Amino acid sequence: MRQFNLGDFEFLLLATRWTILLSVYAAIGGGIVGLAVALMRTATNAIPRWIAIVYIRIFQGTPLLLQLFLVFFGGDMLGLPLGAWLSAVLGFSLNAGAFLGEIWRGAIQAVPNGQIEAAKALGLHYVPRMWRVVLPQAMRVAIPPTVGFLVNLIKSTSLAAIIGFVEVTRAGQMLNNATFKPFLIFGIVSAIYFALCWPLTLTSRRLEKRLALSLKR
Amino acid sequence: MKWLTRTLTAPLLLGLVLLAGIAMLAPAKAQTIDEILSRGTINIGVLVDLPPYGILNDKQEPDGYDIDVAKLMGTYLGVKVNLVPLTSPNRIPFLLTNKVDLIVATFGITPERAKQVMFSIPYSAIENVVFAGKDKKITSMDDLKGLRVGVPRGTVQDVILAKTLGSAVKIARFDDDPSTYQALLTGQVDAIAETGLTGDNFYASHPEGNIERKFTLLQQPNGITMRKDQFNLHQWVNTFIYFTKNNGELNALWEKWFHKPLPNLPVF
Repeated sequence: MRQFNLGDFEFLLLATRWTILLSVYAAIGGGIVGLAVALMRTATNAIPRWIAIVYIRIFQGTPLLLQLFLVFFGGDMLGLPLGAWLSAVLGFSLNAGAFLGEIWRGAIQAVPNGQIEAAKALGLHYVPRMWRVVLPQAMRVAIPPTVGFLVNLIKSTSLAAIIGFVEVTRAGQMLNNATFKPFLIFGIVSAIYFALCWPLTLTSRRLEKRLALSLKR
Repeated sequence: MKWLTRTLTAPLLLGLVLLAGIAMLAPAKAQTIDEILSRGTINIGVLVDLPPYGILNDKQEPDGYDIDVAKLMGTYLGVKVNLVPLTSPNRIPFLLTNKVDLIVATFGITPERAKQVMFSIPYSAIENVVFAGKDKKITSMDDLKGLRVGVPRGTVQDVILAKTLGSAVKIARFDDDPSTYQALLTGQVDAIAETGLTGDNFYASHPEGNIERKFTLLQQPNGITMRKDQFNLHQWVNTFIYFTKNNGELNALWEKWFHKPLPNLPVF
């Protein structure tokens, strides 16, 4: 056992870097996958719709921990060593894609059908119809649940510890194992998570207000 | 929605079975000492959450008895040591998928584990002790009946308690050692089975808990762990342990961390 020192505090802050980076990459990757899933899920053609449904069911129905495990160790088994960083980004993106896809499907379907019909009547094809008419309206509905999910995503990055990724929670565990000061260390870790998540929630509220204004007009 | 889940269960299960199949088919790479020598580095998996075997020191680097043994091994091999911090649940997967060459991670030698991995002769031992409050009368296994006993999940003490006492004891399994020690201090469990030396230090620094050693559960010898087909490396590791045990180097490392001589380590 040893004392908790300033270097340990620095170690926690440096590990926070990885939590932030992993969250950002997972959000971007998840956003790309999620948009594709949402568009496929709301397609009129049955084939993409079914592919999206199977994808969502698999990733929502199995634990994230196992998905990370399979990507990391499975890659090696198939002779494709991905490394901890890439596996974590890939695992989180695939998982976030399924959840964001389902959230955004709901948002897209919440846009009144009349809007789509009007867009069609104006002769707008699929891409401009989605891009200029449906998605901007869906975005308003999607913001609160999306931010809620992202806050959760930040916190679930701690699961990456299973594949040897040292982010802030794992760093805290390692320090606790050396110093036996759980309340101090996990107190700091919690404060760090709070500092990451709270601004996100605030931004979401501001965005919601601003978008609500445009609706009132 | 029910039909949907039903239609999707079959392909999902099939997918999982396929993945498991791939996992079994993939060959674990046979590895020789020459490969490691020509590579110039050895990747050694260690724990950083089991003081004093493996910890993060005040510079936040892996340190401890296991780490010193790993470094000594590197010196004798004449290669660079790349320490890979592992956790107890992921140490076997890391080894079996070739992410590390071997692990020095206070791994207790049991026939059950030897079905999956290959152990060297013992290089260290860990003393498992039952701790409890001074007011509790506990002198043997039987006295644990009906009590809530805390253990770190999946450890040797977990297995022993579950096997010998079965449902007579309520086992509370924790994620790591600090949580286990803490649980006894805060009264969530009546007793714990843990590493002797660490427990002594921890409870000495928390005298308000009134906690003491009750009895020694077992003295467990640990082996350096390799994949089942690493015979060549295995032979070198055994030679290394034999040699450093005889020339006193292993003992010196043990004294550095435990302040007493290396216990008698049986060989096989």
